[in-house]
This record gives sequence, C-alpha cells and structure tokens, in this order.
Amino acid sequence: MIKKRSSFKIFLAVQHALFLRELSMRFSSGRMGMFWTFFEPFFQIFIFVLIKMALFGSSENSFDFAVFLALNFTAFNMFKNIVIKSTASFKANKALFLYKQVKPIDTIIARTMVEVFITSIIILIFLFLGFYFDFDMQVEDLTMVSLGFLWLIVFAFAFSLVVAVVNAFIDSIGKLLGFLMTGLMFASAVFYSMNRLPIEVQNLLMYNPVANFMEMIHGYYFETLDDRLVSYNYIFLWTIILLYMGLWLYIKLEKRIISI
Amino acid sequence: MIKLDRVTKYFRTKTGKKYILKDVSMVIPSDKNIGILGRNGTGKSTIMRMLGQIEFPNRGKITSDKSFSWPLGLSGGFVGNMTGRANVKFVCRLYGKSKKEIDEIINYVKDFSELNDYFDMPIKTYSSGMKSRLSFGLSLSFDFDYLLIDETLSVGDANFRKKSKMALMKKIENCHVLLVSHDMGTLRDICDVGIVVNNGKIHYFDDINRAIDEYASINK
Repeated sequence: MIKKRSSFKIFLAVQHALFLRELSMRFSSGRMGMFWTFFEPFFQIFIFVLIKMALFGSSENSFDFAVFLALNFTAFNMFKNIVIKSTASFKANKALFLYKQVKPIDTIIARTMVEVFITSIIILIFLFLGFYFDFDMQVEDLTMVSLGFLWLIVFAFAFSLVVAVVNAFIDSIGKLLGFLMTGLMFASAVFYSMNRLPIEVQNLLMYNPVANFMEMIHGYYFETLDDRLVSYNYIFLWTIILLYMGLWLYIKLEKRIISI
Repeated sequence: MIKLDRVTKYFRTKTGKKYILKDVSMVIPSDKNIGILGRNGTGKSTIMRMLGQIEFPNRGKITSDKSFSWPLGLSGGFVGNMTGRANVKFVCRLYGKSKKEIDEIINYVKDFSELNDYFDMPIKTYSSGMKSRLSFGLSLSFDFDYLLIDETLSVGDANFRKKSKMALMKKIENCHVLLVSHDMGTLRDICDVGIVVNNGKIHYFDDINRAIDEYASINK
C-alpha cells in the first residue's frame, strides 16, 4: 500500500517533479523558445547601448553602461517572467490537479523556481563573458545586491499569486499583463538611473515598487551610485500586503481553483 | 471507511443551482468495492471524484484515511512534448518514488502498454488508444487502497481490452474500486455494494444487486 508521507515530504516530491517537468517543457517546446530566453537580455543590452550612443554619443559614465544594463535587465526580466509565467500556471496545469497532492500554489512555486534557475544561468553567462572580455564588474556590496535579488523574488511571487488567483476567475487580466510589463520597464529605472532624472519625475516614479528594487540593486552594485531614493519601508509594505492578500485569496478560493 | 458529513454539492447554472447532493450524511464501510449508478448528468463522476478527494463539496466534509488513485485511464495530465517515459517518471516523482522503484514502474508500464519504440517518443505522436494504454498501465503500477474508475474499462483493441480486464481483476484482489459504470455486467462482476444517485439524493445499498434493481426502477 502507499506509505503515508509527511506533508513536507509530499511538498518536496511535488516540487521536484514539477520543477523537472517545467524545465523539460521549456527545453522541448521548440528550439526558438530556449534560444530567445538566453538571447533576449543580450538583445536588450545591444539596443539600449545603441540608443545611448545615438543620443549622447560615447560620453563617459562613472560606470560601464553595458554592465549596468546587464544587471538591471537580468533582475527585471526575472521579475517579468515570474509574473507572466506564474499567472497562467493554474489553467496550464489544470489537468495535474487530478493528482490530489498537487495543489495549485505548487505550480506557481515551481514556475518561480524555474525562472530563478534560468536567471542564475544567465548570470553565469554574463559573468563568464564579462571576465573574458575584461569588463569592469567591480561590486560595491555583494550581500546587499544578493538580498535585493532575493527580496525581488519574494515580491514577484507574492504579486503573481494575487494576479494568478484573480486571473483564474477573470480571464482578461493575464492578457493585459504582458502589455503592462513593457510600460513598467520604462518606469522602473532599468536602463537609466533615477538620479539622472528631474526631482518631480523621481518623486513620481519612486511610487513604483519595482523601481525601488532596481535602485536598490544597482545602488549597491556600483560604487558611484547609491540607494538614497529607495524607501525600504515602502517596498516592505508592498511585499507584506501582497503576500497576505495573495495567500488569503488563495486559501479562500483554492477548492474553486482546483475545479475551474 | 469513507465518511460524509452533511455534504452539499451543487453546480450553478443559468436557471439556478443544480444539486447533486443535498445535505447527505453517511458512512461507507471499508473493504468493499463500490459501484456508482445513476442516469447521465446526475453527477456520478462528480461524486466519485469527491469521494476520491480531488473535488470538494460546497458545504460539509468528506473524510477518509484511505489512499485514492487518480481517475483510472486518464491521460489529461500528460505533456505532449515529453516522451511516454518522461511522463511516467513525472508521476512517479509526484508520489516520491525512489530511483529503483521508478525503474521498476517504467519497466512494468513499458511492458504492459506494448508501446515498444513509441514509449520513447513524444506523447503527441500517440493515438488516443495508445495514450489510454500508457495511462492504464501507469495506474496499475501504483498501490492504492482505492482505484477510481470512470467507465474507462474499454480501452484499446479487443486483445488489449481482455488483457487490461484481467490485470485489473488481479489488481483488485489487493485493493478496492470506486466504479462508475452503465454496464450492469461489469458492476455485478466487480462491485460488492452500490450507490444510486438520483435527484440530489443518494441511496446506499449493501448489495450491488439491490442497487441495480433500484436503478432499473428509476429508469422505468
């Protein structure tokens, strides 16, 4: 007979299975999909370096602009992909809820982990290329940069949980999200640093929590930038409220999500 | 033992709530093969899935200390881009099987399903009969207290049907079934007790023949 397992053991087994499944789905869904995953950040960096050269010529920054872009796009793409992939995961994995140990939230956790894994590979590729081509990749405070990334993962998870639950009942939300993400990128200090902008614009844009994360991450990465515009209380509140709201909605609606 | 405690289940339709169960309390004793009977659309499958705890009542509680399989012969959880082998591995991992156990299950399923080379090809190249064979073999290779079966005893060609029925009969010597079927012969062969579903009520009979008689009288 099936042996009784503790719920944590079941959770680990389910995560292990889902993680490998998601990964092999990603690798097997046509070579273009995988290629684009790894090529996208290079493409983004290339475009924005070109734009900058066209607008400002090769005016010297106090830091390497390509490294700046690589850092920011890695973080922002991770956020974007966690949200977009997780949002669709209830419907995409509906058939799996027939295995009663698979709970809808498991699929979001697994997809988040897959994105984190892919991001780590991209970081490794960037590091390798950076050392090989001798870019200036000096980090001011590695611990705080890592903390920024970890916090961003939690924030992205909380955000996608809320959106995923809502999306399970209101279809159009997910479709809107892809469109909103492009706008969010422009408002999130991804290819510029906040301190270059006028004060009024700064004040407005810093209401965007993702911009706070970006400022935190590149503020601690580069000696010449800082995190003085970041409000840690503000993003802490966002994280806690989204997490609470997401889990509360999820617990209320889990059984209905299983039988959508 | 499966215990239902004031269970209510309904679906919302345009004309109002359609009840499948209305405030039902009962206890189904252990060690019985259970047949579920009822006309189309009365909610037999839903009740089977609720007893197997993959669907939930709107009110009330269903509890049991037994383990239940997924609905037998179901191929919805397979990923088209992955091979039969990879899909089997996935389900094994869900149940926390060790590497050795996974190898054993893979060999069994490969052997049972007679898919040969197709076993290592993506599921999207399978015919529906081949998919059912794979999932049927997979269901049989796990040890549950209860197997959930939803009218899927007839998969594949005549040869495979015979083989799968035999394998199933051998399997249920060691476990029990929750069977939804319209085929009275199968119900008589396999089940000990019966549940008849009708108009938001269910009737439990501790003899399958009496359940079949009741079902016949409903159909008059």
